[in-house]
Amino acid sequence: MSEIILETKGLTKYFSNKAALEKFDLQIPRGCICGFVGRNGAGKTTAIKLMLGLLKPTAGSSAILDCDSMSLTPKIRRRVGYVTEGHRLFRWMTIAGLESFQKPFFDNQWDDKFFSEMIDYFELSKKQKIKHLSNGQWAQVSLALALAPHPELLIMDDPTLGLDPAIRRQFLQGMIRLIMQQGRTVLFSSHILSDVERVSNQIVVIDKGRLRAHCSIERFRESIKKVKFSFADKVPTDIDIEGLVNCRIIGNELELILVETPQEKIAQWAASEDAENYEIVPMNLEDQFIEFTEPKKRGKLFQWENN
Amino acid sequence: MALWIQITTGSNDPVYTQLINQISRAIAQGRLKTGDKLPAVRKLASELVINPNTVAKAYMHLEQAKLVVTKTGSGTYVADTKNRSADAAEINVLTERMDNIITRAINLGLKQNDLADIFKSRLEKFGDKKRKSGEENE
Repeated sequence: MSEIILETKGLTKYFSNKAALEKFDLQIPRGCICGFVGRNGAGKTTAIKLMLGLLKPTAGSSAILDCDSMSLTPKIRRRVGYVTEGHRLFRWMTIAGLESFQKPFFDNQWDDKFFSEMIDYFELSKKQKIKHLSNGQWAQVSLALALAPHPELLIMDDPTLGLDPAIRRQFLQGMIRLIMQQGRTVLFSSHILSDVERVSNQIVVIDKGRLRAHCSIERFRESIKKVKFSFADKVPTDIDIEGLVNCRIIGNELELILVETPQEKIAQWAASEDAENYEIVPMNLEDQFIEFTEPKKRGKLFQWENN
Repeated sequence: MALWIQITTGSNDPVYTQLINQISRAIAQGRLKTGDKLPAVRKLASELVINPNTVAKAYMHLEQAKLVVTKTGSGTYVADTKNRSADAAEINVLTERMDNIITRAINLGLKQNDLADIFKSRLEKFGDKKRKSGEENE
C-alpha cells in the first residue's frame, strides 16, 4: 500500500441540525488522480473545505500530508494547491499582479517559466485585468496559478463547471501533466463523468453526505451491473439478492442494478426464481453513477412515461 | 504509433478495456508485429489525455496475456507469436462467446452457410498480414 496523502476519519459536519457530511472516512494514496463525484448537495464542497481547514468539523478529523487540517502550517499549505468552485480571483488585479501576489506564498517552488508558458498558451497577456476576462479565461488563469508551484496535492472543486470542451480538456491535460511528476496527487470534484473517466484512476462517490464508494475506476466499472431477467408469467416482487441497489419491472422483464454480486449468485437467483433467461446489459459510467445514486422512486417524474 | 488508438469516453467499455482491445486487435491484424515497440506509458498517457496508471495497467494485462513483453529500462514490445498459447479454459471462454454470436445470428434468421461465409470474410481481415508476420518469425 502506498503512502496516504489525505485522510479523513469520521469526518462530520452539521449546518444547524442538518448533516452535510456524516462519518466520512477517506484515504487517498499518493500518486493518483481521484475523481470526486456526487449529486448536487451531496457534500463534495463541504468535504473539500473541511480537508483544507476552511471549515471546522462538527466531529471527526481530517489530515493532509500528515498534518491535521485544522492546524495546517504555511509550510504544509505551500505543498497543496486549491482551485475553488467558480475560480474566485481578485477582480481588480491584473494577471501579473495575481502572480506576484501568489508567488511569495510558495517560496522557491514557483515555476515562473511554466506560469508564463501557460499564460501564452492560453493566448492571454499578463497585463490583462481579471475583471475584463471571460469565465473561461478566469478558469485558465486559475489553472495556471494552481499548477505553477507544482503542488504535491492539488484539490479542485468542480474546476470545469460551465467551461467549453476545449478549456475542459486543458484542465485534464494540466492534471495529467502534474501527475507525471513524481509523487503528485490530484483530487477533483466534477459532474462530468466522461472527464472523470478519462483522467482518474480512482473514484470517490458521495451521496447525501456519506461515502458510497471509493475504489479504482476499473473496479467501479466492473462492480455495478444491470441485469435483465425475463419471466414466463409472473415477475417476482419480493427480491432478495446480494448487492441489490435498484430494480424496475418492465412488462415481464425485471431489471436489477446489482453491486458486486458474484456471477454465480446471479445465476442461482435466476434459477431459484424460475427466470426464463437473463442477460447483463452494458452500462457506461454515467448510467452506473445515476443508477448507483438514484433513490428508488415510487412514482414517475413525467406523466407521459405512463404509456 | 499512438495515433491509431482512439479513446471514447461515455462508452460502455472502460478506458482500460478500450486500450487492451485496440492494441490486441492491432497485434492480431498484424499492424503491430513481433518486436514492435509500444509507445511509452507516459507518452501514450499524455497524447491520449488519460491516466498513466490506466495505461500501465493495460500494458500489464497485455503482458499477462503474453501479447507483449516488458524489458526493464527499455520499453514494452510485441511478444513473439511462438510464446502465445491458449489453455483449455481460455478456449472454453472463446467457444462460449462464439456460441452467443451464433445464437444471435440464427435468431436473426441467418443460415449456417451465410454465417460460415461471414466468418471466412472476417477472418481474411486478420489472416493475410498475420501469416506474413508468422513467416518472418520462422
